[in-house]
This record gives sequence, C-alpha cells and structure tokens, in this order.
Amino acid sequence: MKLEMKEKKDKKQKVDEDEIQKMHSAAPSLLLERTVAPATPYVCDRVHGILVSSFSEEQLNRYEMYRRSAFPKAAIKRLIQSITGTSVSQNVVIAMSGISKVFVGEVVEEALDVCEKWGELPPLQPKHMREAVRRLKARGQIPNSKYKKIIFQ
Amino acid sequence: MADEEEDAPFEEDAEEAGGGLDGGQGKRKRLFSKELRCMMYGFGDDQNPYTEAVDILEDLVIEFITEMTHKAMSIGRQGRVQVEDIVFLIRKDPRKFARVKDLLTMNEELKRARKAFDEANYGS
Repeated sequence: MKLEMKEKKDKKQKVDEDEIQKMHSAAPSLLLERTVAPATPYVCDRVHGILVSSFSEEQLNRYEMYRRSAFPKAAIKRLIQSITGTSVSQNVVIAMSGISKVFVGEVVEEALDVCEKWGELPPLQPKHMREAVRRLKARGQIPNSKYKKIIFQ
Repeated sequence: MADEEEDAPFEEDAEEAGGGLDGGQGKRKRLFSKELRCMMYGFGDDQNPYTEAVDILEDLVIEFITEMTHKAMSIGRQGRVQVEDIVFLIRKDPRKFARVKDLLTMNEELKRARKAFDEANYGS
C-alpha cells in the first residue's frame, strides 16, 4: 500500500495538549498517533490522526519504517566530503539525506508500479528496478550529466 | 599471512568486509544496506527485500548524491557545496523541493527550541 504523505509544520506545544484532551474524550484510538514517534516532527491534523489510528498492525509497522528510516548522517557526510575534498556544513548533509530518501521513494514506487503492471508480486527484483529507472530517466527525474544533450537534430 | 587469502575466498559479508572481494560495484563496501532495507519496506516493498534490489538501489543513491554534489560544486560558489545550491538544483522537482524546505525549517526550529531550553536551564 503506497502512502502519499504531505508534510506540514509543527503546532505549538500548548495546542497539542488541548488536542490530547479532546482526543481523550472523543476516541481513545486517536491517541495512537502520539505513540508512533516520528524521526522528524510531524503535524497531526484530524484526518491524518484518524487515518493512522485505523491502520492494521502490518500497516502500522510499515508506516513506522517509512517515518523512521533514514540514511546515517555520518556516512552521507563522508561520501559528500570524499567527492568535494572540502568539508560541508551540517545543513548540506541534512538536505542531501532528505532528498536521497525522497529519491529512493520515487524509485521504489515506480518499481512497484512496474511489478504490478507485469502481473508479479513483491519482493522487487532487479528487473523491476531497472525498468523503473529507465522510466524515471525518460521523465527526467534522474540526474545524468554523462551525455551531451542534443537539442536540435 | 598467505593463509587468510586462501582460506576465506568469497566470504561476502557485506557489513564487515573492507578489503574482501566484492561482486558488486567496484571494491566499495556496502554503506547503507540496513537502512535501505527499512526504507524499501516503508515505501511498499516486502519486509525482506532481495539483496540484489537493495544493492541496485544503493548504487543509484550513491550515483544520485555524486551527481548532485558535482552539480552543486559547479554553480554558486565554485568548488563548494552549499545548501542554496542544492535548493536551486532541486527547484523543478516539487516533492524534493518541499522536503528540503521542510527539513531545514524544522531544523531551525529545533535549534531555536534547544537554545531557549538551555538558556532557561542556565538561568535556574
């Protein structure tokens, strides 16, 4: 099941506490949102809270992995610095890890589309990945500066 | 000395082997195997993804980061990678752009909150 999550800013602490009070009286299951501690701060708006509280256990597991998985900052920093030869700021590492994760998501989702289209099942195989990359390249979503672009034939 | 090379031929323990033989990308040890597996599961793959698929993804990510780094080095302040350059490069991709903006904003807020917390503690 693919989830397209939209990220929003955090509300202030006080507002959250009011929300918890309301949730207590409304439906105890809504509290579930609070227990899935995110790797990055996340806003619970009502709809999202209701969505997560109606997840099955398998969906909850997957959602938790989706939120918590991240590239190790040290390895990313080492990689970037080995390419530039100079040191990079923490913000660069944060930005690069973030967009790399989005990139992984794009490839995996495309590969799942390919897998489904070919009438096969997960786990994903290399052939799905390669076809996914081919499609993303055609859409220009994969940076590739190795070949000269010929604009006019 | 000579024993090691002969007795441990193709022990592909991706997590540890530094100088061992590698069947994948060059001689590099796998950097993100564990994290990538969790990520793939989170994005919809099976709970145990195939190692070959994980390897392909890792190569893709490293290539992506390499490309971005090289491009960032060539714009703005030459030879350095700065956040502004990354944001510029990603401007046409709505998802990545939004994600970077969010992450940097949240990081600023966290820093401010931590600073305020420390000052409050220092006072008392």
